[in-house]
Amino acid sequence: MNCLIAGIGNPDRGDDGAGPHIVALLRNRVPACVSLSLHAGNLLELLEEWRDFEMVFCIDAAAAETPGGIHRITAGEELPPSAPASSHAFGLVETIALAAALQQLPPTLIIYAIDGVDFSAGAAMTREVGDACARVADMILGELKGCARSRPHAAAGG
Amino acid sequence: MTRTIKVDVLARVEGEGALDLEIRDGRVTAANLKIFEPPRFFEALLRGRAYTELPDIVARICGICPIAYQSSAVHAIENAFGVKVEGQLRALRRLIYCGEWIESHALHVVMLHAPDFLGFADGIQMAAAHGDAVRDGLALKKAGNALMRAIGGREIHPVNFRPGGFYRVPGRAELEPLAGELEQGRERAIRLLRWAKKFPFPELERDYEFVALRHPEEYPFNEGRLVSNRGLGIDIAAYESEFEERHVAHSTALHSMLRRRGAYLTGPLARYALNFDLLPQSVRELAREAGLGAVCRNPFKSILVRCLELVYACEEALRLIAQYQPPEAPFIPLRPCPGTGFGCTEAPRGFCWHRYDFAADGTIAHARIVPPTAQNQPSIEADLAVIANAHVQEPDDRLRQLCEQAIRNHDPCISCATHFLKLSVRRS
Repeated sequence: MNCLIAGIGNPDRGDDGAGPHIVALLRNRVPACVSLSLHAGNLLELLEEWRDFEMVFCIDAAAAETPGGIHRITAGEELPPSAPASSHAFGLVETIALAAALQQLPPTLIIYAIDGVDFSAGAAMTREVGDACARVADMILGELKGCARSRPHAAAGG
Repeated sequence: MTRTIKVDVLARVEGEGALDLEIRDGRVTAANLKIFEPPRFFEALLRGRAYTELPDIVARICGICPIAYQSSAVHAIENAFGVKVEGQLRALRRLIYCGEWIESHALHVVMLHAPDFLGFADGIQMAAAHGDAVRDGLALKKAGNALMRAIGGREIHPVNFRPGGFYRVPGRAELEPLAGELEQGRERAIRLLRWAKKFPFPELERDYEFVALRHPEEYPFNEGRLVSNRGLGIDIAAYESEFEERHVAHSTALHSMLRRRGAYLTGPLARYALNFDLLPQSVRELAREAGLGAVCRNPFKSILVRCLELVYACEEALRLIAQYQPPEAPFIPLRPCPGTGFGCTEAPRGFCWHRYDFAADGTIAHARIVPPTAQNQPSIEADLAVIANAHVQEPDDRLRQLCEQAIRNHDPCISCATHFLKLSVRRS
């Protein structure tokens, strides 16, 4: 099964960097059938990118009151509010809704949302969010191994 | 009896604005487009910066139309320092501008404006019923972004613009693969035009004074004189003698007016009216097919003109790519000197005028930036008054929807306008 892991967010805006940070943690640790990508701002290009993949992970920060919470959501479940984005850009919630309307969702879509509290320009990532990023990276690696065990031939990059 | 209709935050526009309408005894007595996004003070923060920093700083004025600000800035620098960029460097500037028009117009036509005509709250709800059109729009946006990335380094706040040209120019092998997407893009834009021409357009003819760039040989992006349909014809350096900006209490964005005649309109309708003869025959025929003459005065039909400009931008981009040969050097060297420079280019929403005063070492002493949306505010408010008066007997919800649509006719970029939809209607 080919897989895409998309890290969403701006690493220069504090906790909004959770997605890119997790992608960085996964680099050199994922099997060959897994592609990694980074996205900030307008996510409409995700609609094109994930067409070629059977399984897609999207990782993004979510606005919350307490940092560090982890939410695993599959497409169809309600997403928590996304981090502030441009009024002219499409965030993850809107992109998924648009993909559903266009019947362009991937066969398997899993969203990891990490609760963040500080999205200000130039801010450092809060400690709790950093810890949550490490846990999410391990969780995704565990899911990928599960896919490889359930479909041993697919994990070879077919 | 006073009736008040308010839209607290306008949807499907870039930036934060609101609408305040007052109707007294069945007549509109006030129609205010309230821009409350905080002033951004770019003109102030540019003072004391080096001219070399100018393109990267002004790109941050807008994530949707950065090329407009970077282009006007580098043209102003070159104007001040006595340099003219021509040949393939000039062609690359037109090409990246094609990319910006394509990505901006495509998003607006499909996701921001079309839902108004079809009765949907937003483009996502519209997508289920009009999936083909949405897919065409998204593919066009992707093609425009690809062009901006290929030449500018990235589509949001491109990094490759510099005075005199670019830091690096692409090879033919980097541009030629984009031609396929642009050829398909042209077909997609035509499909969008044929889709949009069936929309139910409110009947409205406004007697605008249109103002746009006019070039002797080409539909304008980067160069030309400022002209109008009421006799204006000036070098861009004379802008301040004919135009003035005013602060109004209800907007953090300055209003622009012609000194002698008041409100005017810039943007696709103005470009189209003042440069129709410079469009290729193919585009003029499509205009006729869509029921447009050489001038369009119905602001609701601006969506058709944007579709035509999408077709033009794809055709122009293909022409430029076909004839492209990498220049020998990516930029023309320039030497700073004291003086004033002017730049004026056609952003997707209208002309964007810049003036900079430079010290002997190229440090910016003074900056003035006039964005298109700020210029259009008086005309937008005049539109609102006309439309609201024509529909004053409608219920508030319907009136609110029409007024919001009237604002979206002009694709306002409110964040740009504050360089330095909340609709309230009071009926009495």
